[in-house]
Amino acid sequence: MKIDKINPVITKQKIKGQFYTFRLIVQNKFALTGLLVLLFLSLLAVFAEYVSPFNPDMQVLEFTAKGLNFKSKVLVKKSNSLIPIKDVISDSGDSIIYKDYDGKEKLISKDGLLKPSHIKWEKNVTYLLGTDGLGRDILSRIIYGTRISLSVGLISQSIALLIGIFFGATAGYFKGITDKAVMWLINVVWAFPSILFVIAISVVLGKGYWQAFVAIGFTGWVDIARIIRGQFFELREKEFVEAAKASGFKSPRIIFRHILPNCIGPLVVSATVGLATAIIFEASLSFLGLGVQPPTASWGQMIYDGYIYIIVGTNWWIAILPSIAILVTVLSVNLLGDGLRDSLDQKLIK
Amino acid sequence: MSNFFLKHILHSISIILGVISLSFVLIYLVPGDPVKLVLGQRADEKTVEIVRKEMGLDKPIYSRYFDYIFKTMKGDLGVSYITNRNVLLTILEKFPATALLSFFAISISALFGIIIGLFAAIKVHSKFDSGSIIFALIGISIPQFVLGLLIAFIFGSILNWFPVTGYISDGWQYMVLPMVTLSLRPMAIIARITRSSVIEVMSFDFVRTAKAKGLSKMKIIFKHILRNSLNPVITTLSASLAATLGGVFFIEYIFNWPGIGLLAIDSVIKLDFPMVQGTVLFSAVIFVFINFIVDIIYSVLDPKVKLT
Repeated sequence: MKIDKINPVITKQKIKGQFYTFRLIVQNKFALTGLLVLLFLSLLAVFAEYVSPFNPDMQVLEFTAKGLNFKSKVLVKKSNSLIPIKDVISDSGDSIIYKDYDGKEKLISKDGLLKPSHIKWEKNVTYLLGTDGLGRDILSRIIYGTRISLSVGLISQSIALLIGIFFGATAGYFKGITDKAVMWLINVVWAFPSILFVIAISVVLGKGYWQAFVAIGFTGWVDIARIIRGQFFELREKEFVEAAKASGFKSPRIIFRHILPNCIGPLVVSATVGLATAIIFEASLSFLGLGVQPPTASWGQMIYDGYIYIIVGTNWWIAILPSIAILVTVLSVNLLGDGLRDSLDQKLIK
Repeated sequence: MSNFFLKHILHSISIILGVISLSFVLIYLVPGDPVKLVLGQRADEKTVEIVRKEMGLDKPIYSRYFDYIFKTMKGDLGVSYITNRNVLLTILEKFPATALLSFFAISISALFGIIIGLFAAIKVHSKFDSGSIIFALIGISIPQFVLGLLIAFIFGSILNWFPVTGYISDGWQYMVLPMVTLSLRPMAIIARITRSSVIEVMSFDFVRTAKAKGLSKMKIIFKHILRNSLNPVITTLSASLAATLGGVFFIEYIFNWPGIGLLAIDSVIKLDFPMVQGTVLFSAVIFVFINFIVDIIYSVLDPKVKLT
């Protein structure tokens, strides 16, 4: 037992402990659900091209603001764009006569059409979650939106982790004036309402994808720095740090190789909580038109597109469906975070 | 005692200086020429030079920094690019609406948050408890603007119980939806903290003693358990003030509530930099001020916090 205390990182106990955390998460029904939903969403994000039924940016003007499970017949052009039709009237060799969406008869050459694998030229399409104000498929846009949400969340959280670990570790390890300076900086950043700070930074940096995660990353580090600082305060007094110092190791090595690995638990928990906040901030930014720019699909942008309809009380699905997507994502991150925290607490009790 | 106040005041001032400095850095980083932002891209060279001198932009960076600090300390936050009005006056005009909304929202969330948390903890593992956990989780997970939209849609557009947009001067019912929306997130956080704090306190020996003495259940709950579990709740309350101040921006925007939140977001959309900076700076200073007050109250209420 004594060996563990001197350097808990490299002992067998610790390796067993990591699996123990995983087992506790699997046993915790809520945390497991969160983990599985997040895995599912990540798969959706990675394979968005193959999973989504339509091109998320394809506008079909005839299909503006159609409700759930909307079905129609279409002709598919070579460019993959759709011509909504009521029916095909006749097939005369190299061209087709069809009744268009308004009921007018029209003629189209077969050269312009995508050659279908089956005999009929028309195709039936189903918009499971309806379409938005520009006639785009909401389901496909939600699937593509996972990419933005998760990637901005992950990247901005990585930035926040880097800054947070740096400041938290130096403050907690060196104490004294370094700590005072870092705490002052933390309190200054803390004073800004974080969402407004994010907005202000992205106004300064300009609209766009990378601006969003830089802005979010530069605000999110504060919580991580606080946690790390607290952990370092505690751990720097332990015997194994003293042993490392006595062995003549330099400070960076003690910080990164000896103390930091022992903070992994609280670090993971606060990074998970931060991920949830980052996803919310990304959505808020794109709701204001500051994040990812159209036509790229992002959930906040989609909600903004439907916002006007909601206020009037029509076409609710345009705003509500992406809202549900955000809620489900953030909820699963939080469930996982809670599960991690619980398992950490249980480990501490043991 | 006076030492304690002095230390706190100095600390708050140093934080505010930091806040102003950070906001200067933000202004300094704005891409493009600020003079051209004011005059438009096609202004002739001579006017640009004159205005540049007038705005003090020809000076070196450090002297601009000190100018900025002095100007801000005096309350001069510049004029809006769009309306040409004084930024601070515009903000002060809008502030009462935000203060009113936030005050009611935080009071409601504190009251109901503590009640929900208390009952969930007393009946731990009951249906009410699970319900409260789910409520808290959803309350924490839902972005404020999404919640605002849902509430506006359900209660405003479908059920038509309350009007969606408008100000309290038109009647109290205009405040209901924004207030409820704003209070849900802090309520969820407070309920969560109260629950865990009460559960912890209930396992203490003095609760068993109180029970053994034959005190009534009500007396044990309110006099012994609740009073001893409020400390972390008060800390959370001051932290959730920050959440409220942050949430107020989107909620005012969605419900068209004429406070500084609506002003801030409008200015963001119109790229009115002085106004954006002004609102950011103003909310940060308000936050520091509130924290100062909370620290004082906290130290007066809790003898464990030393007055040194």
